[in-house]
Amino acid sequence: MANVPIIDCDIHPEATKENPLDPFVPESAREALRQGLGGAPGAGYSNPFGVTRRDAECKDPLKVGVDHFDKYGIHYGILQPPGMKVSLTLQIDAGNALARAWNDWQINTWLAADKRFLGSVCINLNDPAEAIKEIRRAGVHPQMVQVNVGGESRDLYGHRRYFPIYESMSDMNLPLCLHPGSEGSLDSATPVGRPSTYFEWHTAIPLTFQAHLISMVTEGVFEKFPKMKLVLCEGGIAWLCHTMWRLDKNFKALRSTTPWLRRAPSEYIFDHVRLTTQPLEEPAVPEQLLTIFEILHAERTLMFATDFPHWDFDEPNRTLPRATPPELKRRIFYDNAAELYGLPKLPATLPTTTSSRPVAVGVTA
Amino acid sequence: MSNPIDPNTKPLPIDTSYGMENRAIDHAFKIAFESQPPKAKVGKRVTVCAANELQPGQRRIVEVPPHSIGVFNIDGKFHAIRNVCPHYGAPLCQGSVHATHKPADVHQYEVALQGRVLRCPWHGWEFDIPTGKGLYDKNSRVMTYPVEVDAKGDIIVTV
Repeated sequence: MANVPIIDCDIHPEATKENPLDPFVPESAREALRQGLGGAPGAGYSNPFGVTRRDAECKDPLKVGVDHFDKYGIHYGILQPPGMKVSLTLQIDAGNALARAWNDWQINTWLAADKRFLGSVCINLNDPAEAIKEIRRAGVHPQMVQVNVGGESRDLYGHRRYFPIYESMSDMNLPLCLHPGSEGSLDSATPVGRPSTYFEWHTAIPLTFQAHLISMVTEGVFEKFPKMKLVLCEGGIAWLCHTMWRLDKNFKALRSTTPWLRRAPSEYIFDHVRLTTQPLEEPAVPEQLLTIFEILHAERTLMFATDFPHWDFDEPNRTLPRATPPELKRRIFYDNAAELYGLPKLPATLPTTTSSRPVAVGVTA
Repeated sequence: MSNPIDPNTKPLPIDTSYGMENRAIDHAFKIAFESQPPKAKVGKRVTVCAANELQPGQRRIVEVPPHSIGVFNIDGKFHAIRNVCPHYGAPLCQGSVHATHKPADVHQYEVALQGRVLRCPWHGWEFDIPTGKGLYDKNSRVMTYPVEVDAKGDIIVTV
């Protein structure tokens, strides 16, 4: 080739410590880039300041048992494993293998370590037949209490292609748990464009929850599968007031387009849908939440969650408004989840848990 | 601030029965299918028009202060219903008349009440003209009136 001149049109240089990009970034943009604002669609969204609390981790079952369960008097904790996202795996067999792996990993490492851990069956929605087999295989474990899926999906969860999966869950009394996960990785995280920041993305998560819930209600999932339960985990709660009211309002005019709905949409929601608290909305007047609780029938629909060990953790002693009636507190903290997941009933009165309210140190009056 | 839990009521059960009592729409259609038009009663007899002036599929709105009433010819039978939607007071009888779908299995469409469903011109709520039954909930119902054709061949509504 020596006597042929060459032009190579494709060479990939890398920036390194020795050859950094930083000096060429305008100073006004450097901090923004350090805060993760240089993200692009394929990279997904993650908290630039860290998703995990700096003072906690969730890696060792025994340590979590002490640091979290013992500390707050938590009787049961439901795992939300990363495997909830396996349906996004491009290669279907690999997705199936990952689903099985995350289930066996939960069973062998966490559920075996401590009976207080309860698991979530991971499934690959892209292969309904395999998903059903996996639900029947992993779902029989006595500590597996639900099937969980992420918010990002190829179809709205009311789509009938999921019906055979719902039938198998229904047969086994396993609720479906919808948890935020990778919204925006297949399409835009909102119907009208891609959020610029994690802040914007994270705040918009309830949009996905609304879309899936509206789909499941109007497509008749809860008529088709009367035993089906849906848990909306980490999606907030206040938006449901609006969604439910709007469903009921539109139903009066448009019922004929979904004639399989035989009750007001809100009635299906109250009977079939449960919400978890974290990240509970924090109005400037905390007691305003009590009105939301009343609207949403929190005494049957709301279940406590911390999101341990993530950055937006809700601390059990601080989460609910002070004025929350004790009986309602009790239902939110224990009874609603116990009834949904078939966990033991506990006596109405229990010794109060250790308050973890921070104690001011070195402050004198 | 009201207390979200009334101490006098039992906590709502988590599982509800799926009997007819919970299915408001089934109840609504049952009324529409089974109820009879209102029987003749004592009241003000109002002449609408000659029966042959109101052909099948046609309607006429008559003002009988303080009432406004829509008279419909559905397949040769006359029906009179109050011209006020119970929702926002819209002139109900100016709405479109068509069929609807009765309650059915998931993803099944079964046509029902052909030509006798009145859709409110404002928000689209559906009513069964002969019975006045709202087809979107359990209890709502619009007033209907007895109609007859007298010896002279006029349509008479008793208000």
